[in-house]
Amino acid sequence: MGDNETVICRCEEITLKEIKETIERYQCSAREVKLRTRAGMGPCGGRTCRCMIDRLVEQLGGPSISNEISLSYRPPVRPVSFGVLGGDVK
Amino acid sequence: MIDLVIIGAGPAGLGAAISAAENGLEVYILDEFVKPGGRLLGQLHEEPDGKWVNGIAEAEKLYKRAIQLGVNIRCGVSVYDLMKLDQGWCVYTTDNVMECKCLLLATGASETPIPIPGWTLPGVMSIGAAQVMGNVHRVKPGKKGIIIGVNVLSAAIARELQLCGVHIESILLPQPNLLSGDAANPEKMMESLLRLSHLAPSALIRFGGKWVSPKLGARLYPKNGFKMWDIPIQLRKSALEILGEKQVEGVRVAEITANGEVVSGTEKVVSVDFVCIAGGLAPLSELAAVAGCSFRFVPELGGHVPLHNEYMQTNLTGLYVAGNITGVESAKVARAQGTAAGLSIARELNALADHADEKIEAAIMEVMETRKNALIQFQPGIEEARKKLYSEFYETSEKASMI
Ligand SMILES: Cc1cc2nc3c(=O)[nH]c(=O)nc-3n(C[C@H](O)[C@H](O)[C@H](O)COP(=O)(O)OP(=O)(O)OC[C@H]3O[C@@H](n4cnc5c(N)ncnc54)[C@H](O)[C@@H]3O)c2cc1C
Ligand code: FES
Repeated sequence: MGDNETVICRCEEITLKEIKETIERYQCSAREVKLRTRAGMGPCGGRTCRCMIDRLVEQLGGPSISNEISLSYRPPVRPVSFGVLGGDVK
Repeated sequence: MIDLVIIGAGPAGLGAAISAAENGLEVYILDEFVKPGGRLLGQLHEEPDGKWVNGIAEAEKLYKRAIQLGVNIRCGVSVYDLMKLDQGWCVYTTDNVMECKCLLLATGASETPIPIPGWTLPGVMSIGAAQVMGNVHRVKPGKKGIIIGVNVLSAAIARELQLCGVHIESILLPQPNLLSGDAANPEKMMESLLRLSHLAPSALIRFGGKWVSPKLGARLYPKNGFKMWDIPIQLRKSALEILGEKQVEGVRVAEITANGEVVSGTEKVVSVDFVCIAGGLAPLSELAAVAGCSFRFVPELGGHVPLHNEYMQTNLTGLYVAGNITGVESAKVARAQGTAAGLSIARELNALADHADEKIEAAIMEVMETRKNALIQFQPGIEEARKKLYSEFYETSEKASMI
């Protein structure tokens, strides 16, 4: 198996190749990679892959990692049912 | 309204609960794991004086003390959102919604992966997962494994797995690529190994220990590595791919030069039934982010950390942080930070009767002292990085108060 086929975002099954091509083609930020490929948008909320996406963007000439968190966190930060979100109390 | 809700029942959360409850606060701790203790539960190591430290027993002690003081501890509950109220905080959990005057985030750290071809096969896990399987659940992750990634954590956990009766074939470097960075560089890894010399003094000193420069060390490094507790640590070998049909069957490895380049013609397949990936740790700060904290990127502390000061206050009123969320350090430091946070919170809620300031200053001194004597240092330069972070906290809060 080639390096490029390595999965980076496990939740959304996005490979190194897809992310690399996106960065190279659009010269984009981590946030744009996320919006274009769905990498980082899976049920883990990017907990597993965000640092790799940031690193790839930095390595391939995009903006370097700064104080700003590039892939912003949004609630819910854990997978929860609609019932719980709707205020259903156990 | 509850005085204090703490998220995370690791050493930081439990430490804070104890010092806050000792001063009369009503305290709740929430943790999503089934047992209290956090990452302490997985730890087992021998101190330089020959005494064994068992994290499970340490966690039990903290837990008992907290219960004795009337702390409410709820496990198996995840917090998924936070909201600032006029007077306090609202905590959204998978069980209910809670309101509190002060909130402490003690959510610890998460592991950083190193993607390697084949890393999604069953039988590949993070080094921390193997630690939890072996030391907490008492399940062997496999019979014979390879650990990819040489660092403080992988060496410590390799030893624990060995004590569980699991054979560790070797610890080696990841393949050099866009993502592995320093983790694939023998020289850089030599530096990090030298920080470990207290854990296996004889092996490293035999090899050269503190007197060898990392550059020289990486060049002179024996082809087959040296052994710590009989486990070969191979800085001149790298894992190219994890192989297997339905699950892990082996790892394709090759020799690398001192600069980390693969030496062609040296590839071979080592058969194993599990693989651990050890990419390091990063503060788990998602809740601080949804709460709206300011952040700083501090590599010495493991990545993005919420801006805070030595009193463990963030830039948001009533919101505190302690433990690995503030930077990756050892369990003892986390516990000491927890104590300091608990006292600061008690002071904010006017519960610290006499000598409030002295008590807090003593707790902060204790954090610094513990840091100095820490057995495990995840990164160099922690003290300086913290000094800088705290001064930035005061600079930004001054600016904010001038507006
Ligand atoms: C895999 C691993 C191995 C380690 N090994 C060592 C070692 O050998 N020696 C050493 O000194 N240090 C080790 N550390 C560092 C370790 O993190 C500290 O020693 C110490 O445990 C940190 O304490 P803490 O209280 O900050 O966090 P933790 O002990 O990590 O506790 C945090 C707790 O918060 C809970 N939590 C997180 N998010 C939520 C949420 N949203 N809702 C509810 N609960 C939540 C978690 O379930 C966890 O129990 C290790 C860390 C990791 C990740
Ligand atoms: S691994 Fe990418 S979102 Fe979960």
